[in-house]
Amino acid sequence: MMTYIVFILSVIFVVSFVGFSSKPSPIYGGLVLIVSGGVGCGIIMSFGGSFLGLMVFLIYLGGMLVVFGYTTAMATEQYPEVWVSNTTVMGVFLLGLLMEVMLVLYVLKSEEVGVVFKFSGVGDWAIYDTGDSGVFSEEIMGVAALYSYGAWVVIVTGWSLLVGVLVILEVTRGD
Amino acid sequence: MNPLIFTTILMTVLLGTMIVMMSSHWLMIWIGFEMNLLAIIPILMKKYNPRTMEASTKYFLTQATASMLLMMAIIINLMHSGQWTITKVFNPTASIIMTSALAMKLGLTPFHFWVPEVTQGISLTSGLILLTWQKLAPMSILYQISPSINLNILLTMAVLSILVGGWGGLNQTQLRKIMAYSSIAHMGWMTAVLVYSPTLTMLNMLIYIMMTLTMFMLFIQSSSTTTLSLSHTWNKTPLTTTLILITLLSMGGLPPLSGFMPKWMIIQELTKNSSIILPTLMAIMALLNLYFYMRLTYSTSLTMFPSTNNMKMKWQFETKQITLLPPLIVMSSLLLPLTPMLSILD
Repeated sequence: MMTYIVFILSVIFVVSFVGFSSKPSPIYGGLVLIVSGGVGCGIIMSFGGSFLGLMVFLIYLGGMLVVFGYTTAMATEQYPEVWVSNTTVMGVFLLGLLMEVMLVLYVLKSEEVGVVFKFSGVGDWAIYDTGDSGVFSEEIMGVAALYSYGAWVVIVTGWSLLVGVLVILEVTRGD
Repeated sequence: MNPLIFTTILMTVLLGTMIVMMSSHWLMIWIGFEMNLLAIIPILMKKYNPRTMEASTKYFLTQATASMLLMMAIIINLMHSGQWTITKVFNPTASIIMTSALAMKLGLTPFHFWVPEVTQGISLTSGLILLTWQKLAPMSILYQISPSINLNILLTMAVLSILVGGWGGLNQTQLRKIMAYSSIAHMGWMTAVLVYSPTLTMLNMLIYIMMTLTMFMLFIQSSSTTTLSLSHTWNKTPLTTTLILITLLSMGGLPPLSGFMPKWMIIQELTKNSSIILPTLMAIMALLNLYFYMRLTYSTSLTMFPSTNNMKMKWQFETKQITLLPPLIVMSSLLLPLTPMLSILD
């Protein structure tokens, strides 16, 4: 089972995406987002990126989603919509779930899956121990490279974040 | 808006487009598009009424969807080629998705529905920035991936855009919607020749930007947003009436004005590549565009449009002085003899 952990986690990932894109109330969307964030972190960690997984939990779930949860709790209505309260939401959720189940069965049954890409069976998702890539972990070297070769990216993303704050303040300021 | 914040946000729009045009890494291009989108939203929302907010929301939704499609195409390209440089798109699926994403950003049919609605909901100056500067970034990416674009899809979108741009503008009296449909049609002309000769796309973009800048500035000077309001310019500044006539005919593509240059070159390039029906159809559909430009000139410069007597004396607080207007008018009408110089665009 451990060789197919990425496949299983990806299926849970897609199911939770279906869960929030069938548009229940934002509170429940945030709940499923926590699940999908955690599962996404699991996927990244299976490929050896423990630092990035930690970033997902800390910054995404622990920072952004907490702020989102607080603001949604301030703006929520008395009876928020769940997946089973509204026929439309339930219908979309079940449809997405059905499509995912059919895709999983298709992948498990046939040798090759050619929906948009060609996957050669479930084996494409398996994690193999490809041996050492040296003394250093690949992923930490990537983060370090961001601050050395990728200084321009840091400048651009930092500027984008600053301008993002300015834009949001400007848009919500009103007259 | 606070002038310092406004300057910062405007500079960020410029920076976003510059990053898109100068990067060789797909991720940086995507970041440039997002920066551009984020920073132009408060510019679109300069006045705080529900119409501008709705227009900005529509713009944001369509452009964000296009960015998502672009990211998906980038990742498919990464999967199949293993590298991030923009020389060539290595997979036909990625190429098709990328073309669709960039067509959504430009406003080509069948993704043109946002252009008239967004342009109508915002002020004239914001509409100017939207229809000229925002077209530069997606067009530069299309230019760079032009060898790997699927010809059938691009030509279909181009021809349909010319058709929609012509037909859609026929029933309009609001000037901003007319300019929006004109933009759709011109984008169609530009992308039709992209695979055959990207230089002509750049030429068309240059002439189109000059003409659209001129038109918008003439509108801004007389503060007119409807045909009726434009038809009163004979009373305020009679000279601009003539200039509106000349610029509109140039936009329609009539020789000997400079708007004829891109159309002539594009038709020549297409016939050199042995497609004859296509440029004939495109030229015929450009007549639809010419019709509603002619209608504007008829009501503005050629006749005194019927209106009540008190509307003829339009109150104007102070004359707006637009320094750039005379050179733009000259450039958008008299550039035709300089056609041999287009080899500098190579």
